[in-house]
Amino acid sequence: MAEEKKEAQAVTAEATATPEAAAPPEPFTGVTVTPDLEFVDAIIKSGGESLKRCYQCATCSVVCNLTPSDDPFPRKEMIYAQWGMKDKLFGNPDIWLCHQCSDCTAYCPRGAKPGEVLNAVRKLSIENYSVPRFLGKAVGNPGSLVLLLAIPVVIFLLILAGLGHLNLESIRNAEGKIAYSSLIKSYYIDGVFVPVFFFAVASLAIGVSRYWKDMIRSTGLQPKGGIGSAITATIGEILAHKRFEKCNVTKSRKLSHMLVFFSFIGLAITTAWAVLYLYGYEIMHAMGKTPYSWLRGPSPYPLTDPMKWLANISAVMLLVGILMVMNNRKKNEAKAGKGSYYDWLLIYIIFAVMATGILSELFRLADLALPSYLIYFSHLVVVFFLFAYAPFSKMAHMLYRATAMVFAKATERDVEIT
Amino acid sequence: MAENKKVLVIGGGMSGLTAAVEVAEAGLEAHIVEKNPYLGGRVAQLNKYFWKLCPPNCGLEIQFKRIRNNALVKWYTLAEVQEIKGDEGNFDVTIKIQPRYVNDKCVGCDACAQACPSYRNNDFNFGMNQSKAAYLPHEQAFPFQYVIDATACQKDCQKPCLDACKYSAIDFAMKPETISLNVGAVILAAGWNPYDPAKLDILGSGGFKNVVTNMMLERMASADGPTAGKIIRPSDGKPVKNVAFVQCAGSRDENHLPYCSYICCLASLKHALYIREQYPDAKVTIYYIDIRTPGLYEPRFYWKVKEDPNVAFIKGKVAGVSEEPGGDVVVDVEDIYAGGKVKTKFDMVVLATGMEASSLAQGIGVPYSSDGLVDDTTLRKGFYAVGTMKSPADVARSVQDATAAAIKSIQSVKRR
Repeated sequence: MAEEKKEAQAVTAEATATPEAAAPPEPFTGVTVTPDLEFVDAIIKSGGESLKRCYQCATCSVVCNLTPSDDPFPRKEMIYAQWGMKDKLFGNPDIWLCHQCSDCTAYCPRGAKPGEVLNAVRKLSIENYSVPRFLGKAVGNPGSLVLLLAIPVVIFLLILAGLGHLNLESIRNAEGKIAYSSLIKSYYIDGVFVPVFFFAVASLAIGVSRYWKDMIRSTGLQPKGGIGSAITATIGEILAHKRFEKCNVTKSRKLSHMLVFFSFIGLAITTAWAVLYLYGYEIMHAMGKTPYSWLRGPSPYPLTDPMKWLANISAVMLLVGILMVMNNRKKNEAKAGKGSYYDWLLIYIIFAVMATGILSELFRLADLALPSYLIYFSHLVVVFFLFAYAPFSKMAHMLYRATAMVFAKATERDVEIT
Repeated sequence: MAENKKVLVIGGGMSGLTAAVEVAEAGLEAHIVEKNPYLGGRVAQLNKYFWKLCPPNCGLEIQFKRIRNNALVKWYTLAEVQEIKGDEGNFDVTIKIQPRYVNDKCVGCDACAQACPSYRNNDFNFGMNQSKAAYLPHEQAFPFQYVIDATACQKDCQKPCLDACKYSAIDFAMKPETISLNVGAVILAAGWNPYDPAKLDILGSGGFKNVVTNMMLERMASADGPTAGKIIRPSDGKPVKNVAFVQCAGSRDENHLPYCSYICCLASLKHALYIREQYPDAKVTIYYIDIRTPGLYEPRFYWKVKEDPNVAFIKGKVAGVSEEPGGDVVVDVEDIYAGGKVKTKFDMVVLATGMEASSLAQGIGVPYSSDGLVDDTTLRKGFYAVGTMKSPADVARSVQDATAAAIKSIQSVKRR
């Protein structure tokens, strides 16, 4: 198919360049496509219900500021989607180079919403590369939501029951204060989250490496060495949110995404910091030494602690950021589309993580034991959801999109980013 | 009630003229109300018809002759229908007529125009040139009678015009007047306007001199047009050697006109021939989504143009236009068959803008669909819409439709 297309290109180029060429070009014999209607249906169900309206005018590719000039997107992806050409879409760097600015959707003369269609394709691509596959399917399916939430609920209930800590009202630390470390010792939490973390990392690593191989196979492009520099450049670009700047319709997304992005980094640092406080203290203690005074041991930590500053600043940034995300989506709905279940699931989970986190702290400070512990319990559940299902939810975009950007840079087929 | 044998025809273009003469030749009285100071509408602005490439004036002349020979056809220029009340067989029509400032004594001698010191933008040529404030709308104008643009000809301008006229044909005391008519049926033939390029932001919002519309090109190609028939670029008068056509400029686009405007592909094919005729070495590139040539002979016209090696057809809609300092225009397009996004420079770019149905005064009570067109089935009894009011059409189909509307209005009047 790729070769046939090149032949067609050559014919066109010749016809326009030297029209009086004596030998008539070989007739184009066409391409045989077997439409995968189930896949078309899957795209439609994932939020791409407008895909059949596309009539291939290519306005989208022209108004897109993020597409490479050579074989641009999203016009070609729209016809792949209409014909259910799964392989052309999954192993395609372009579906992730797209940041869903929705400039294409706004200018589309047919309301085919290429931005939304590519978003649906990305969801199916995450599902396609997910290990294990059933989790990939479950996260994208609203019917499985309760089951997915039940897993962490059961895990943490079992732990609490095992510890005999179901009498929430009466749990206090040595100083008689509400302390989440007294409800579930950090070791138990880490006993759950550390394996979850490694599971997510391993699952994503497999998915991303499969995607990388598929990109090489489907584009026929080879990275031209220097993957290290491509990675560095990609990270720099992501930190600066360069590509968001090229969007027109959804310009306001840059700030909201930045807030969410950097608050996540802030919260990751907070977590590492807390680990140091706890385990640094414990290790020194176990070694028979007096722990340094700044290693604070088990939580809670006073609000004056710099770690708490970072934690609270990040939490507020996340609150503002995620509310802006929601607001932007509502504001841009007419031009950019309403988004799918898959989008809103991640948004609401992040919102829930942030809301339960902040409320846990507030209720604890207000010394309200039952609500504190209940909210903290939900916090653990949604944090589990966010991390354990990251390879299968829209959260995985951070790695797949970054991978596509690295591939585009390494193969020197990228849009100019200034 | 006595039989009301009058039919009102709103619009004096090819459709309205046809409907009026058909009605009158069947013995009814036809009243044409035309907004412009001349009859003939859009057809009068055309250089040649596609696909036969004959001059539209022969068709118009025939209709004008039929009108002149038929006392049952009355017409009002510079006139607009403001309100229609009543029911089928008994409509009360209010018509507002703007002053022409020139009476029937005018012989078309041009003396007033020669003497007139003021100028006005020539709307007949889409503002590409100016005419005197005392002017003949165009060389073949019917009625062959001058008009004075009073807003452009105030105080000091008036005396030289008055003095120049030997026939006492100029009368600055004329006032707008309102007249009433009672008719049995109404034919809506107000026609169409080219889609306004100012609404096409990605195509330059009508702000670039060398990005013209297809109707502007039609005027340029016309011997009585702003360039005396030479197709040159507006910014510097340079001969155009490399011209791009942007098809579907506003058409087939739910953000603008959701429908296909029917005529634009054929118009661009015709325009390619105009350019190729004037400049044997010129190149023409037509950017399209699909080339649509409805009809029996029209596809053959396309095939004929396609044989010209200097006319290239590139599949891909232009979605970006910019102007360079020297006046060249760069178009931004995905060449779909070649597989790349390209920017290409041209001397001039022609937007194949589509047809928007003309609007009518609210008081007439004609509903427009969400597409901006008139749907016959939603009209009150005794109202009949014609041609481009209902959907884009070429002249031949508009004329056929006008004849159909004439028959319907005759039936409407006769059956009571």
